Amino acid sequence: MSAGLSRGTLLRMALRANLLQSTWNFERQQGVGWAYALQPALDELYADPATRRARLAEHTAYFNTQPTLASLALGAVAQLEGERAGGAGPDAVAMARVKAALGSTLAALGDRLFWFSLRPFAAAIGVLVALARPEKPWGALVLWGTYAVPHLAVRFAGVGWGYDRGPAVLAGGLRRGFERAVTLLAYAGCVVLGVLVAYGMAPGGEMRPIAVQSALAGGLGLGLLSAQRARPSPTQWALGLGALVLLATWTRQG
Amino acid sequence: MTRAFLFTLLLAGVAALDATPVAQTLLSQPLVTSTILGLVWGDVHTALAVGVVLQILAASTTPLGSRTPEDYATGGVAGTALALALAQQSPLQPWRDSAALVGVIVGLLAATSGVPLIKWQRRRNEGLSRWCEAEILAGHEHAPALASVAGVTLAFGVAVALCAAWLAGGVVLLHPFVQHESLRLSRAWTLAQPLWMGFGLAQLLHAFVQRRLTRAGLFGAAMVGAWLTLVMGTP
Repeated sequence: MSAGLSRGTLLRMALRANLLQSTWNFERQQGVGWAYALQPALDELYADPATRRARLAEHTAYFNTQPTLASLALGAVAQLEGERAGGAGPDAVAMARVKAALGSTLAALGDRLFWFSLRPFAAAIGVLVALARPEKPWGALVLWGTYAVPHLAVRFAGVGWGYDRGPAVLAGGLRRGFERAVTLLAYAGCVVLGVLVAYGMAPGGEMRPIAVQSALAGGLGLGLLSAQRARPSPTQWALGLGALVLLATWTRQG
Repeated sequence: MTRAFLFTLLLAGVAALDATPVAQTLLSQPLVTSTILGLVWGDVHTALAVGVVLQILAASTTPLGSRTPEDYATGGVAGTALALALAQQSPLQPWRDSAALVGVIVGLLAATSGVPLIKWQRRRNEGLSRWCEAEILAGHEHAPALASVAGVTLAFGVAVALCAAWLAGGVVLLHPFVQHESLRLSRAWTLAQPLWMGFGLAQLLHAFVQRRLTRAGLFGAAMVGAWLTLVMGTP
């Protein structure tokens, strides 16, 4: 293995990881963003311009994973590129295989943690705070902070974790930690949603009219039923409900 | 007013960048953008009325894999800004409720109309990525940076144009409608708002519970406990 990458290089990779999806497309998905984020490592590892360009072009190929945990893959692949630059690492085919394996493993975990758990939890707690303190911007700050702080922390620290541990980055306690976070967020999310529904029925302790409470309960019931199927999407359902309410209002009012 | 409109368009571009091409910090979420717009337009109450509903509905929309999700970044900005522009015409509550209803519906429509535009951008980016690889092999190692700048610029421009179109169209076409039908629209809002909230909360609940009895029990206990605390007050 060649000499390790400098901390400055790892930091530049983490900064560039923010643009991982800047050219997202159906063909190579995050490919170009991935190459751009890995470029500082390739610049440091390969002194020969022709080899460096060949490696950089190779990394513009297809890659896709959950964008936060992509940092771990970036670090792990930078470690492999270090071995490759020293003449010992995987060849291009093996590297593509490692990237594909890392991408799907990290996506499976990252989607559950960030998209299915942290994102809805941040939204729920942000909305709860916004309803309870409507005169201040705390709801927006809580939503943004609840998601952005762990997201950016993992994005910046993740390159180092991946670089230190290599392709087996999720083999140790990191996966267990992420899995535990998913479970805890699900429990916390259930509590926050319970409080939100109660607040919707009696904001500030004042019971809302029975028609409003019925609409809330009806929406909950319909939402739980519609969630069993992917189509129509929640947005299409919401548009349909809006049209239905308008129709009902116009019909009733003559 | 003009400055508020210009700021709104700028925010639409920034939100679209945060949604996918840059950073993904949830700055693009409707609650965040509507709060910012509320502060800029000087009407946080109307902005939050729209933002909270759109946020609950946006939270169940996930950008998984190659699925193109609804564009709630632009929808949130366009819907809230339209509600704020309409609400400025009158201080009366029914008028403001009507503006909120129209804002949510336009926000949902704008988010839906953003899907084909995002797909179009993604197809354009395919050519960009092929160009990038060819340029690198030709010796231009700065090609990934240029491609990233091009992708970001395209996303920003499309979001600003989409928001401007919905905002201008909404103000011109819907202002007379809100003016004549504010009472009916206001009544519709009192029913539609809790219906949308309940529907969106159920989507989130489904994601959290995942058919586990303990989690469903926790939700029920939290709801009853919070309701009792709110209605009876703390001891």
